[in-house]
Amino acid sequence: MKKAVALLLALALAAPGAYIAYTHVKALNVARCLGCIAMEPKAEKFREFWVEYPDSYKNEGIPAHPSWVVNESREHVVMLFFWGPSCEPCERQWEGMKRAGMVEGSEKDGRMTENYSYVTLFSLNAPFDKNGDSIRIYHRKGGTETPTTVILFERNNTIYWYAFSGEANGEGGRPTVEELSGILEKAREEKYGGVQP
Amino acid sequence: MVVCNLNCAACPFAYLCIPLAIGAFLAIKRYQSRLQKKRLASQVTFLFITNTAFIFGATGLIYTYFYCWEGPLALMACPIGVLEHAFADRAWYLLPYLFGVFGVSSVIFGRAACGWACPIGFLQDLMRGRRTKHPLDEKMRYLKYAILALIPPVCYVTGTLAYTNICPVGGLTATLPHLALDPDGYTFTAFFVPKMLILAGFFVLILLMTRGWCRHLCPVGAMMGPFNKISVLELRYFEDKCIKCFKCAKVCPMQIRMPYDNRSSECIRCGTCVDACPTDALALAFKWK
Repeated sequence: MKKAVALLLALALAAPGAYIAYTHVKALNVARCLGCIAMEPKAEKFREFWVEYPDSYKNEGIPAHPSWVVNESREHVVMLFFWGPSCEPCERQWEGMKRAGMVEGSEKDGRMTENYSYVTLFSLNAPFDKNGDSIRIYHRKGGTETPTTVILFERNNTIYWYAFSGEANGEGGRPTVEELSGILEKAREEKYGGVQP
Repeated sequence: MVVCNLNCAACPFAYLCIPLAIGAFLAIKRYQSRLQKKRLASQVTFLFITNTAFIFGATGLIYTYFYCWEGPLALMACPIGVLEHAFADRAWYLLPYLFGVFGVSSVIFGRAACGWACPIGFLQDLMRGRRTKHPLDEKMRYLKYAILALIPPVCYVTGTLAYTNICPVGGLTATLPHLALDPDGYTFTAFFVPKMLILAGFFVLILLMTRGWCRHLCPVGAMMGPFNKISVLELRYFEDKCIKCFKCAKVCPMQIRMPYDNRSSECIRCGTCVDACPTDALALAFKWK
Protein backbone atom coordinates (compact mmCIF):
# COMPACT_ATOMS: atom_id res chain seq x y z
CA MET A 1 0.00 0.00 0.00
CA LYS A 2 2.79 2.38 1.02
CA LYS A 3 4.63 1.63 -2.24
CA ALA A 4 1.54 2.11 -4.38
CA VAL A 5 0.80 5.48 -2.75
CA ALA A 6 4.42 6.59 -3.23
CA LEU A 7 4.33 5.53 -6.87
CA LEU A 8 1.02 7.31 -7.46
CA LEU A 9 2.39 10.48 -5.87
CA ALA A 10 5.50 10.29 -8.04
CA LEU A 11 3.39 9.75 -11.15
CA ALA A 12 1.16 12.66 -10.17
CA LEU A 13 4.28 14.84 -10.08
CA ALA A 14 5.95 13.39 -13.18
CA ALA A 15 3.04 13.50 -15.65
CA PRO A 16 2.01 17.18 -15.34
CA GLY A 17 5.66 18.04 -14.67
CA ALA A 18 6.67 16.51 -17.99
CA TYR A 19 3.76 18.24 -19.74
CA ILE A 20 4.87 21.63 -18.45
CA ALA A 21 8.64 21.29 -18.51
CA TYR A 22 9.58 18.80 -21.25
CA THR A 23 9.93 21.46 -23.95
CA HIS A 24 11.97 23.69 -21.65
CA VAL A 25 14.33 20.86 -20.72
CA LYS A 26 14.65 19.90 -24.38
CA ALA A 27 15.54 23.48 -25.30
CA LEU A 28 18.20 23.53 -22.59
CA ASN A 29 19.52 20.17 -23.80
CA VAL A 30 19.67 21.24 -27.44
CA ALA A 31 21.54 24.43 -26.56
CA ARG A 32 25.23 24.06 -25.90
CA CYS A 33 27.14 26.05 -23.31
CA LEU A 34 30.68 24.76 -23.62
CA GLY A 35 31.78 27.62 -21.39
CA CYS A 36 29.86 25.78 -18.67
CA ILE A 37 32.24 22.81 -19.08
CA ALA A 38 35.34 25.02 -19.04
CA MET A 39 36.01 25.36 -22.75
CA GLU A 40 35.24 27.82 -25.53
CA PRO A 41 35.65 27.39 -29.27
CA LYS A 42 38.35 29.14 -31.25
CA ALA A 43 37.20 31.58 -33.89
CA GLU A 44 38.48 33.09 -37.08
CA LYS A 45 40.18 36.38 -36.25
CA PHE A 46 38.44 39.39 -37.77
CA ARG A 47 40.22 40.76 -40.83
CA GLU A 48 37.37 41.72 -43.10
CA PHE A 49 33.65 41.02 -43.37
CA TRP A 50 32.59 37.86 -45.15
CA VAL A 51 29.96 37.36 -47.82
CA GLU A 52 30.21 33.58 -48.07
CA TYR A 53 31.09 31.13 -45.33
CA PRO A 54 34.87 31.15 -44.69
CA ASP A 55 36.90 27.92 -44.94
CA SER A 56 36.79 27.35 -41.18
CA TYR A 57 33.02 26.84 -41.36
CA LYS A 58 31.30 23.53 -41.94
CA ASN A 59 28.84 25.14 -44.37
CA GLU A 60 29.68 26.56 -47.76
CA GLY A 61 28.28 29.29 -49.97
CA ILE A 62 26.22 32.28 -48.86
CA PRO A 63 24.43 31.85 -45.53
CA ALA A 64 20.63 31.71 -45.57
CA HIS A 65 20.26 34.90 -43.52
CA PRO A 66 16.80 35.03 -41.89
CA SER A 67 14.42 37.54 -43.50
CA TRP A 68 14.02 39.56 -40.27
CA VAL A 69 17.80 40.03 -40.22
CA VAL A 70 17.97 40.95 -43.90
CA ASN A 71 15.15 43.50 -43.53
CA GLU A 72 16.79 45.20 -40.58
CA SER A 73 20.26 45.16 -42.16
CA ARG A 74 18.99 47.36 -45.01
CA GLU A 75 18.60 50.28 -42.60
CA HIS A 76 21.09 49.52 -39.85
CA VAL A 77 24.13 47.58 -38.87
CA VAL A 78 22.79 44.51 -37.04
CA MET A 79 24.29 42.75 -34.06
CA LEU A 80 22.90 39.37 -33.03
CA PHE A 81 23.82 38.24 -29.53
CA PHE A 82 22.76 34.67 -28.80
CA TRP A 83 22.87 33.90 -25.09
CA GLY A 84 21.61 31.09 -22.85
CA PRO A 85 20.15 30.87 -19.34
CA SER A 86 22.81 30.68 -16.59
CA CYS A 87 25.51 30.88 -19.28
CA GLU A 88 28.40 32.51 -17.46
CA PRO A 89 30.47 33.41 -20.56
CA CYS A 90 27.35 35.09 -21.99
CA GLU A 91 26.86 37.11 -18.82
CA ARG A 92 30.55 38.09 -18.72
CA GLN A 93 30.44 39.30 -22.33
CA TRP A 94 27.20 41.22 -21.71
CA GLU A 95 28.66 42.90 -18.64
CA GLY A 96 31.84 43.68 -20.61
CA MET A 97 29.80 45.30 -23.40
CA LYS A 98 27.88 47.24 -20.77
CA ARG A 99 31.08 48.54 -19.17
CA ALA A 100 32.35 49.54 -22.61
CA GLY A 101 29.20 51.62 -23.09
CA MET A 102 27.92 49.52 -25.98
CA VAL A 103 24.71 48.14 -24.48
CA GLU A 104 22.34 48.86 -21.64
CA GLY A 105 19.71 46.86 -19.79
CA SER A 106 19.89 43.12 -19.32
CA GLU A 107 20.41 40.29 -21.81
CA LYS A 108 16.64 39.76 -21.83
CA ASP A 109 15.65 43.30 -22.77
CA GLY A 110 18.96 44.79 -23.80
CA ARG A 111 19.49 47.55 -26.33
CA MET A 112 22.39 49.52 -27.82
CA THR A 113 23.34 52.79 -26.16
CA GLU A 114 22.95 56.21 -27.81
CA ASN A 115 26.55 56.06 -29.11
CA TYR A 116 25.66 53.00 -31.13
CA SER A 117 22.32 54.16 -32.45
CA TYR A 118 23.34 52.99 -35.93
CA VAL A 119 23.24 49.39 -34.64
CA THR A 120 20.11 47.29 -34.11
CA LEU A 121 20.65 44.68 -31.43
CA PHE A 122 18.81 41.37 -31.35
CA SER A 123 19.66 39.82 -27.99
CA LEU A 124 18.23 36.32 -28.30
CA ASN A 125 17.82 33.63 -25.67
CA ALA A 126 19.11 30.88 -27.97
CA PRO A 127 17.31 27.84 -26.48
CA PHE A 128 13.99 29.69 -26.64
CA ASP A 129 14.55 31.67 -29.85
CA LYS A 130 11.11 32.15 -31.42
CA ASN A 131 12.78 32.71 -34.77
CA GLY A 132 13.92 29.12 -34.86
CA ASP A 133 17.45 27.84 -34.95
CA SER A 134 18.96 31.01 -36.42
CA ILE A 135 22.07 30.50 -34.28
CA ARG A 136 22.98 27.42 -36.34
CA ILE A 137 23.37 29.58 -39.47
CA TYR A 138 26.22 31.49 -37.86
CA HIS A 139 27.91 28.78 -35.79
CA ARG A 140 31.17 27.37 -37.17
CA LYS A 141 29.92 23.79 -36.96
CA GLY A 142 26.23 24.50 -37.37
CA GLY A 143 25.83 24.12 -33.60
CA THR A 144 23.88 25.99 -30.94
CA GLU A 145 26.61 27.22 -28.71
CA THR A 146 26.22 30.31 -26.59
CA PRO A 147 27.37 33.02 -26.59
CA THR A 148 27.49 33.52 -30.35
CA THR A 149 27.87 37.06 -31.65
CA VAL A 150 27.16 38.13 -35.23
CA ILE A 151 27.64 41.54 -36.86
CA LEU A 152 26.21 42.14 -40.29
CA PHE A 153 25.07 44.83 -42.67
CA GLU A 154 23.71 45.14 -46.17
CA ARG A 155 25.36 47.15 -48.96
CA ASN A 156 24.40 47.04 -52.63
CA ASN A 157 22.08 44.07 -51.99
CA THR A 158 24.90 42.01 -50.48
CA ILE A 159 25.02 40.98 -46.84
CA TYR A 160 28.42 41.31 -45.20
CA TRP A 161 28.93 39.53 -41.90
CA TYR A 162 31.31 38.32 -39.21
CA ALA A 163 30.55 35.88 -36.39
CA PHE A 164 32.24 34.10 -33.53
CA SER A 165 31.17 31.73 -30.75
CA GLY A 166 32.47 31.94 -27.21
CA GLU A 167 33.12 34.93 -24.99
CA ALA A 168 34.61 38.07 -26.52
CA ASN A 169 37.76 37.97 -24.38
CA GLY A 170 40.51 38.12 -26.99
CA GLU A 171 41.44 34.42 -26.73
CA GLY A 172 41.49 31.83 -29.52
CA GLY A 173 40.97 34.38 -32.31
CA ARG A 174 37.88 35.87 -30.66
CA PRO A 175 37.85 39.66 -30.40
CA THR A 176 37.94 41.54 -27.12
CA VAL A 177 34.95 43.74 -26.30
CA GLU A 178 36.99 46.76 -27.44
CA GLU A 179 37.79 45.03 -30.72
CA LEU A 180 34.11 44.15 -31.06
CA SER A 181 33.33 47.84 -30.77
CA GLY A 182 35.94 48.47 -33.48
CA ILE A 183 34.26 45.87 -35.73
CA LEU A 184 30.95 47.73 -35.33
CA GLU A 185 32.71 50.98 -36.29
CA LYS A 186 34.19 49.27 -39.33
CA ALA A 187 30.73 47.99 -40.29
CA ARG A 188 29.41 51.54 -40.04
CA GLU A 189 32.20 52.86 -42.23
CA GLU A 190 31.64 50.19 -44.85
CA LYS A 191 27.86 50.55 -44.83
CA TYR A 192 27.58 54.33 -44.79
CA GLY A 193 31.00 55.24 -46.20
CA GLY A 194 32.05 56.88 -42.94
CA VAL A 195 29.05 59.24 -42.89
CA GLN A 196 27.05 59.20 -39.65
CA PRO A 197 23.56 57.96 -40.55
CA MET B 1 21.04 7.10 -39.13
CA VAL B 2 24.74 6.44 -38.49
CA VAL B 3 25.95 2.92 -39.25
CA CYS B 4 29.38 1.61 -38.32
CA ASN B 5 31.66 1.27 -41.35
CA LEU B 6 34.56 -0.12 -39.28
CA ASN B 7 36.68 2.88 -40.26
CA CYS B 8 37.50 4.06 -36.74
CA ALA B 9 40.25 6.42 -37.88
CA ALA B 10 37.71 8.59 -39.69
CA CYS B 11 34.78 8.12 -37.29
CA PRO B 12 33.87 10.93 -34.85
CA PHE B 13 32.30 8.40 -32.46
CA ALA B 14 35.43 6.22 -32.17
CA TYR B 15 36.26 7.87 -28.84
CA LEU B 16 33.13 6.23 -27.47
CA CYS B 17 33.06 2.87 -29.26
CA ILE B 18 36.70 1.85 -28.81
CA PRO B 19 36.81 2.23 -25.00
CA LEU B 20 33.36 0.63 -24.83
CA ALA B 21 34.48 -2.39 -26.85
CA ILE B 22 37.70 -2.77 -24.84
CA GLY B 23 35.79 -2.29 -21.57
CA ALA B 24 33.13 -4.84 -22.46
CA PHE B 25 35.81 -7.33 -23.57
CA LEU B 26 37.71 -6.94 -20.30
CA ALA B 27 34.55 -6.98 -18.25
CA ILE B 28 32.99 -10.13 -19.63
CA LYS B 29 35.30 -12.30 -17.52
CA ARG B 30 34.48 -10.37 -14.40
CA TYR B 31 30.73 -10.65 -14.76
CA GLN B 32 30.58 -14.38 -14.19
CA SER B 33 27.10 -15.35 -13.04
CA ARG B 34 23.97 -15.17 -15.16
CA LEU B 35 22.70 -12.23 -13.13
CA GLN B 36 25.98 -10.36 -13.59
CA LYS B 37 26.00 -11.04 -17.32
CA LYS B 38 22.51 -9.51 -17.47
CA ARG B 39 23.84 -6.54 -15.56
CA LEU B 40 26.75 -6.14 -17.96
CA ALA B 41 24.34 -6.27 -20.90
CA SER B 42 22.19 -3.63 -19.19
CA GLN B 43 25.18 -1.36 -18.48
CA VAL B 44 26.45 -1.59 -22.08
CA THR B 45 22.95 -0.97 -23.45
CA PHE B 46 22.43 2.07 -21.24
CA LEU B 47 25.84 3.46 -22.17
CA PHE B 48 24.78 3.20 -25.79
CA ILE B 49 21.29 4.67 -25.23
CA THR B 50 22.83 7.50 -23.22
CA ASN B 51 24.80 8.52 -26.31
CA THR B 52 22.21 8.25 -29.06
CA ALA B 53 21.63 11.92 -29.82
CA PHE B 54 23.14 11.15 -33.23
CA ILE B 55 19.99 9.09 -33.92
CA PHE B 56 17.23 10.83 -31.97
CA GLY B 57 18.66 14.32 -31.41
CA ALA B 58 18.77 15.90 -27.95
CA THR B 59 15.50 15.26 -26.10
CA GLY B 60 13.79 16.74 -23.04
CA LEU B 61 14.00 13.47 -21.09
CA ILE B 62 16.06 13.34 -17.90
CA TYR B 63 18.68 10.69 -17.11
CA THR B 64 17.99 8.90 -13.83
CA TYR B 65 21.74 8.59 -13.40
CA PHE B 66 24.74 10.84 -13.81
CA TYR B 67 25.83 11.90 -17.29
CA CYS B 68 26.63 15.31 -18.72
CA TRP B 69 24.14 16.76 -21.20
CA GLU B 70 26.89 18.86 -22.75
CA GLY B 71 28.40 15.60 -24.02
CA PRO B 72 28.56 15.54 -27.83
CA LEU B 73 26.07 12.67 -28.13
CA ALA B 74 24.02 13.12 -24.94
CA LEU B 75 20.41 12.11 -25.49
CA MET B 76 18.82 13.34 -22.26
CA ALA B 77 19.32 16.02 -19.64
CA CYS B 78 21.56 15.77 -16.58
CA PRO B 79 19.41 15.68 -13.42
CA ILE B 80 21.86 17.86 -11.51
CA GLY B 81 21.97 20.30 -14.45
CA VAL B 82 18.15 20.55 -14.39
CA LEU B 83 18.24 21.09 -10.60
CA GLU B 84 20.85 23.84 -11.05
CA HIS B 85 18.85 25.55 -13.79
CA ALA B 86 15.69 25.41 -11.66
CA PHE B 87 17.40 27.39 -8.90
CA ALA B 88 19.82 29.56 -10.89
CA ASP B 89 17.13 30.68 -13.39
CA ARG B 90 14.26 30.56 -10.85
CA ALA B 91 12.56 28.10 -13.23
CA TRP B 92 10.63 26.34 -10.46
CA TYR B 93 8.38 24.49 -12.87
CA LEU B 94 11.34 22.22 -13.71
CA LEU B 95 11.27 20.73 -10.21
CA PRO B 96 8.03 18.66 -10.36
CA TYR B 97 9.27 17.06 -13.58
CA LEU B 98 12.69 16.28 -12.09
CA PHE B 99 11.37 14.97 -8.78
CA GLY B 100 8.52 13.12 -10.49
CA VAL B 101 10.86 11.27 -12.85
CA PHE B 102 13.20 10.40 -10.00
CA GLY B 103 10.26 9.47 -7.78
CA VAL B 104 8.83 7.01 -10.31
CA SER B 105 12.23 5.48 -11.09
CA SER B 106 13.30 5.26 -7.46
CA VAL B 107 10.01 3.96 -6.03
CA ILE B 108 10.16 1.11 -8.55
CA PHE B 109 13.88 0.39 -8.74
CA GLY B 110 15.40 2.06 -5.67
CA ARG B 111 19.02 2.88 -6.44
CA ALA B 112 19.30 0.14 -9.07
CA ALA B 113 20.07 2.73 -11.77
CA CYS B 114 23.51 3.12 -10.14
CA GLY B 115 24.23 -0.58 -10.51
CA TRP B 116 22.48 -1.36 -13.77
CA ALA B 117 22.38 1.80 -15.90
CA CYS B 118 24.83 4.51 -14.84
CA PRO B 119 27.86 4.79 -17.16
CA ILE B 120 29.90 6.22 -14.29
CA GLY B 121 28.97 3.20 -12.18
CA PHE B 122 29.94 0.98 -15.11
CA LEU B 123 33.31 2.70 -15.30
CA GLN B 124 33.84 2.06 -11.59
CA ASP B 125 32.93 -1.60 -12.01
CA LEU B 126 35.52 -1.88 -14.79
CA MET B 127 38.17 -0.05 -12.77
CA ARG B 128 37.45 -2.32 -9.80
CA GLY B 129 38.86 -0.12 -7.02
CA ARG B 130 40.43 -1.59 -3.92
CA ARG B 131 38.31 -2.70 -1.01
CA THR B 132 39.37 -0.42 1.80
CA LYS B 133 37.66 0.20 5.07
CA HIS B 134 38.70 3.62 6.27
CA PRO B 135 37.63 4.65 9.78
CA LEU B 136 35.95 7.70 8.25
CA ASP B 137 34.19 5.66 5.58
CA GLU B 138 30.84 5.53 7.34
CA LYS B 139 30.72 9.28 7.93
CA MET B 140 32.05 10.16 4.47
CA ARG B 141 28.91 8.64 2.97
CA TYR B 142 27.00 11.70 4.15
CA LEU B 143 29.17 13.94 1.95
CA LYS B 144 26.99 13.23 -1.07
CA TYR B 145 23.89 14.37 0.81
CA ALA B 146 25.72 17.54 1.87
CA ILE B 147 26.73 18.20 -1.77
CA LEU B 148 23.14 17.66 -2.94
CA ALA B 149 21.83 19.96 -0.22
CA LEU B 150 24.34 22.69 -1.12
CA ILE B 151 23.66 22.79 -4.86
CA PRO B 152 20.24 24.57 -4.72
CA PRO B 153 21.19 27.42 -2.37
CA VAL B 154 24.55 28.05 -4.05
CA CYS B 155 22.94 28.15 -7.52
CA TYR B 156 20.13 30.36 -6.22
CA VAL B 157 22.47 32.87 -4.61
CA THR B 158 25.12 32.98 -7.36
CA GLY B 159 22.73 32.58 -10.30
CA THR B 160 25.25 30.19 -11.87
CA LEU B 161 25.56 26.48 -12.56
CA ALA B 162 28.02 26.28 -9.69
CA TYR B 163 28.37 22.48 -9.55
CA THR B 164 28.69 22.11 -13.34
CA ASN B 165 31.77 24.34 -13.25
CA ILE B 166 33.70 21.76 -11.23
CA CYS B 167 31.79 18.56 -12.01
CA PRO B 168 34.21 15.68 -12.75
CA VAL B 169 31.49 13.73 -14.57
CA GLY B 170 31.10 16.68 -16.95
CA GLY B 171 34.88 16.75 -17.35
CA LEU B 172 34.92 13.07 -18.24
CA THR B 173 31.80 12.79 -20.39
CA ALA B 174 31.72 16.22 -22.04
CA THR B 175 34.96 18.22 -21.82
CA LEU B 176 37.29 15.35 -22.79
CA PRO B 177 35.08 13.99 -25.61
CA HIS B 178 34.76 17.48 -27.14
CA LEU B 179 38.54 17.79 -26.94
CA ALA B 180 38.98 14.35 -28.49
CA LEU B 181 36.73 15.32 -31.40
CA ASP B 182 38.47 18.65 -32.03
CA PRO B 183 41.77 18.80 -30.13
CA ASP B 184 42.82 22.15 -31.56
CA GLY B 185 39.42 23.80 -31.59
CA TYR B 186 39.09 25.24 -28.10
CA THR B 187 40.46 27.64 -25.54
CA PHE B 188 39.84 27.06 -21.85
CA THR B 189 38.16 29.01 -19.09
CA ALA B 190 39.55 29.46 -15.59
CA PHE B 191 37.58 26.40 -14.46
CA PHE B 192 39.43 24.02 -16.79
CA VAL B 193 42.41 23.29 -14.54
CA PRO B 194 40.32 22.87 -11.34
CA LYS B 195 37.92 20.64 -13.27
CA MET B 196 40.73 18.42 -14.56
CA LEU B 197 42.33 18.25 -11.09
CA ILE B 198 38.99 17.18 -9.62
CA LEU B 199 38.66 14.61 -12.42
CA ALA B 200 42.13 13.27 -11.55
CA GLY B 201 40.97 13.09 -7.91
CA PHE B 202 37.87 11.22 -9.08
CA PHE B 203 40.07 8.56 -10.72
CA VAL B 204 42.28 8.27 -7.63
CA LEU B 205 39.16 7.87 -5.50
CA ILE B 206 37.61 5.12 -7.64
CA LEU B 207 40.93 3.27 -7.80
CA LEU B 208 41.41 3.48 -4.05
CA MET B 209 37.84 2.64 -3.10
CA THR B 210 35.45 0.32 -4.83
CA ARG B 211 32.53 2.46 -6.07
CA GLY B 212 34.16 5.37 -4.22
CA TRP B 213 32.26 8.00 -6.24
CA CYS B 214 28.86 6.35 -5.65
CA ARG B 215 29.51 5.82 -1.97
CA HIS B 216 30.80 9.24 -1.02
CA LEU B 217 30.28 11.97 -3.57
CA CYS B 218 27.54 11.29 -6.12
CA PRO B 219 24.63 13.73 -5.63
CA VAL B 220 22.42 11.71 -8.00
CA GLY B 221 22.88 8.63 -5.81
CA ALA B 222 21.92 10.81 -2.86
CA MET B 223 18.64 11.68 -4.60
CA MET B 224 17.73 8.02 -5.05
CA GLY B 225 19.22 6.40 -1.94
CA PRO B 226 16.42 7.12 0.55
CA PHE B 227 13.90 5.40 -1.74
CA ASN B 228 15.64 2.06 -1.13
CA LYS B 229 13.57 1.78 2.05
CA ILE B 230 10.32 1.59 0.11
CA SER B 231 11.32 0.52 -3.40
CA VAL B 232 9.41 -2.20 -5.22
CA LEU B 233 12.67 -3.85 -6.28
CA GLU B 234 13.93 -5.28 -3.01
CA LEU B 235 17.05 -7.04 -1.89
CA ARG B 236 15.29 -9.71 0.17
CA TYR B 237 16.95 -11.42 3.12
CA PHE B 238 15.74 -14.81 4.37
CA GLU B 239 17.16 -15.07 7.86
CA ASP B 240 16.21 -18.71 8.26
CA LYS B 241 18.47 -19.68 5.35
CA CYS B 242 21.43 -17.52 6.43
CA ILE B 243 24.46 -19.34 7.85
CA LYS B 244 26.21 -16.08 8.82
CA CYS B 245 29.21 -16.71 6.60
CA PHE B 246 29.24 -12.99 5.64
CA LYS B 247 30.43 -13.72 2.12
CA CYS B 248 27.85 -11.14 1.00
CA ALA B 249 29.54 -8.44 3.09
CA LYS B 250 32.94 -9.36 1.67
CA VAL B 251 31.90 -8.91 -1.95
CA CYS B 252 29.57 -5.91 -1.65
CA PRO B 253 31.07 -3.11 -3.77
CA MET B 254 29.29 -0.51 -1.64
CA GLN B 255 30.70 -2.16 1.51
CA ILE B 256 27.32 -2.30 3.22
CA ARG B 257 26.96 -4.25 6.47
CA MET B 258 25.36 -7.21 4.80
CA PRO B 259 23.19 -9.14 5.28
CA TYR B 260 21.50 -7.05 7.96
CA ASP B 261 21.54 -3.76 6.05
CA ASN B 262 19.75 -5.14 3.01
CA ARG B 263 17.52 -2.04 2.83
CA SER B 264 20.44 0.36 3.14
CA SER B 265 20.20 3.58 1.14
CA GLU B 266 23.64 2.67 -0.23
CA CYS B 267 22.51 -0.56 -1.92
CA ILE B 268 22.72 -0.31 -5.71
CA ARG B 269 20.90 -3.62 -6.29
CA CYS B 270 23.88 -5.00 -8.23
CA GLY B 271 23.22 -8.52 -6.97
CA THR B 272 26.87 -9.31 -6.20
CA CYS B 273 25.83 -10.45 -2.74
CA VAL B 274 23.05 -12.61 -4.21
CA ASP B 275 25.64 -14.44 -6.32
CA ALA B 276 28.02 -14.84 -3.38
CA CYS B 277 25.44 -16.33 -1.02
CA PRO B 278 25.90 -20.11 -0.80
CA THR B 279 22.44 -20.74 0.69
CA ASP B 280 20.22 -18.42 -1.38
CA ALA B 281 19.44 -16.34 1.69
CA LEU B 282 19.47 -13.20 -0.47
CA ALA B 283 17.42 -12.48 -3.58
CA LEU B 284 16.55 -9.55 -5.82
CA ALA B 285 12.80 -9.45 -6.33
CA PHE B 286 9.97 -7.07 -7.19
CA LYS B 287 7.60 -7.03 -4.23
CA TRP B 288 4.58 -4.78 -3.83
CA LYS B 289 3.88 -5.64 -0.19
